[in-house]
Amino acid sequence: MMIDFSKIGHNLEDSLTSKMLPHIWCSGCSLGTNLQSIIRGILRTGLDLDREVVFVSGIGCTGRASGYVEADGFHTTHGRAIPFATGVKLGNPDLEVIVFSGDGDLFAIGGNHFIHACRRNIDMTIICNNNSTYGLTGGQASPTSFEKTRTPTTVGENDPPFNLVDLALGAGADFVARYTSAHYKILPRVISEAIKTEGVAFIDLVSGCPAIYGKRNGYPTGEYMVKNLLEASKEIVPDENGTYLLPENTRIHFDSSVGYIRIPVGIFRRQER
Amino acid sequence: MSESRDDKRVLSGKHLDSGNVAIAEGAIAAGLHGYFGYPITPSSTVMEHIASRLPKVGGRFFQAEDELASIIATIGCSWTRKKAMTATSGPGFSLMQEGIGLAAFTETPIVLANIMRGGPSTGLPTFPGQQELMQAHFGSHGDYLIPTFAPSSVQECFDLTVEAFNASEALRTPVFVLSDQVLSTLKERYIIPEKLEIVDRAKPNAEPIVWKGETISPEFVPPMNCFGEEKKAFATGLSHDPSGHVDLSADTYEKLLRRQREKILRYNHLLPEPESYQVEDADVVVVAYGSTARSAKHAINLLRKEGIQAGLFRLRTIWPFPDEALREKTKGKEVLVTEMSQGQLIWPVERFLRREVHHLPYYRGEIPPPSRIIEKVKEIGGKGK
Repeated sequence: MMIDFSKIGHNLEDSLTSKMLPHIWCSGCSLGTNLQSIIRGILRTGLDLDREVVFVSGIGCTGRASGYVEADGFHTTHGRAIPFATGVKLGNPDLEVIVFSGDGDLFAIGGNHFIHACRRNIDMTIICNNNSTYGLTGGQASPTSFEKTRTPTTVGENDPPFNLVDLALGAGADFVARYTSAHYKILPRVISEAIKTEGVAFIDLVSGCPAIYGKRNGYPTGEYMVKNLLEASKEIVPDENGTYLLPENTRIHFDSSVGYIRIPVGIFRRQER
Repeated sequence: MSESRDDKRVLSGKHLDSGNVAIAEGAIAAGLHGYFGYPITPSSTVMEHIASRLPKVGGRFFQAEDELASIIATIGCSWTRKKAMTATSGPGFSLMQEGIGLAAFTETPIVLANIMRGGPSTGLPTFPGQQELMQAHFGSHGDYLIPTFAPSSVQECFDLTVEAFNASEALRTPVFVLSDQVLSTLKERYIIPEKLEIVDRAKPNAEPIVWKGETISPEFVPPMNCFGEEKKAFATGLSHDPSGHVDLSADTYEKLLRRQREKILRYNHLLPEPESYQVEDADVVVVAYGSTARSAKHAINLLRKEGIQAGLFRLRTIWPFPDEALREKTKGKEVLVTEMSQGQLIWPVERFLRREVHHLPYYRGEIPPPSRIIEKVKEIGGKGK
């Protein structure tokens, strides 16, 4: 059946670039939900999407997001969303810059830019669509692929993954949060707080790629994935001596037979005013 | 240096300084807003001078974590309708190739000054080379054409940097200034004029801009819709339609690539012209650029004293190559190409003349001495009277 997409409405259609739809993302992918959460988060801040927001992305499935949002945007080369955003911010500090890119883009090829952005603390919001794989190129192992998962480039075991929350805390980001794509009700509030943060705000947005990574590693469908993400998520309980911030307590646990086992979620650091 | 502490953008008057300082002053005079760079010899003094001057005139200086970031941030800044530049040398130029392709394909006006040293790899950090002429044309993957200017004096370091900004704004393109280590430290007098023609890129739904008395056609150079302005401004490194959005169709891609090349070639005549020195009656014409051309000019003066008729064809714009002028000026004459490379300039010269020419490649981390050029001209058969 041919679907006439021009006749299908969307509740956020004023915020989407209709000529670019339908998007390229697979069925069950987290990206559609995540993009919706981000747009809701931006709208919640009261910013004018068209005039005040620049949406920057790198390469990969997530990289395509900048083309779908009715905000100024740039689809950079692989790994370079953060330096591009830095240039925009120096050119016009009044613009609100949002970097939305994948784990491979931000933490493999672009890893150096991330730590330096945190060090400098130039005002930007960095959201990582962390699905632990290079989806667009066929599901190869990424810097957040779990050790005992199968990918076309896994020989024996993958190298240990980055704990993105720990990395961002260590590098000095002003705001550090982690939620999953299934937290679409909470995310707009978290994202608007991130945008309002004056320095670097980082969100590790744990996401799924059921079509490629998930089907090999314990979450074969989008439906299963959403349930899995919610069940595995554990809201952090801040304590006075900060043990909830220790790397072992912020780490994600994963098992390739069932999917996620434990995902510590919440806001790990907030800017002090 | 005392004058450069001034808070004015255009420091009109006479100065005694290095080529790198003149590049920095040229950029500031042309309206530079954002400088993004990473230290590398022999380009670092461009960055240092800009760091001391630019913030005082309302601009922003940024030291990046590497050259990959420098050039991408330069592009990001330009999309806010602000003039942006970076400077580097050989190894950094290699790292920037990714961003260069992105700037070319997204038609982003930026200026990149590459202060050449000897290569390959880390090569000769503190000695000159001219081994990035081909890289300036073909360094990044894919087809593109980036206007490339080569100064030969401190005055030209200033003048051609101003030209580079104007060309980048007028034609919505990255522009290279190819200088070298000799010019980077060489101090001589240069003059910043009272009045400069400064060009700003076209805006959508506005009058077309005029550059050097010529109206720039929006058909060839689409006005740039920048961030924070009326409608969605978007660009991608993928093939794209006129709105900037992804379009991988054959027709769109072919049309885009064709127009991007044609816009440069169409306004080729507005780019800095080559200098012809004593070529009219010359038997041998030396073809050179940059600091090498200074040595060649001296050699020609000495040869002329001996009654040998030699001349110089000095390139100021390297790309697009001034092929017509070269053909016209060297018709019926012997041609000698000299360069600080095993052979890069000789490629376009032979390609455009469609004949073999003489070559003096000199790669010893110094400019070819006049004595070597004199020797070579005599060997070719530059006749005495």
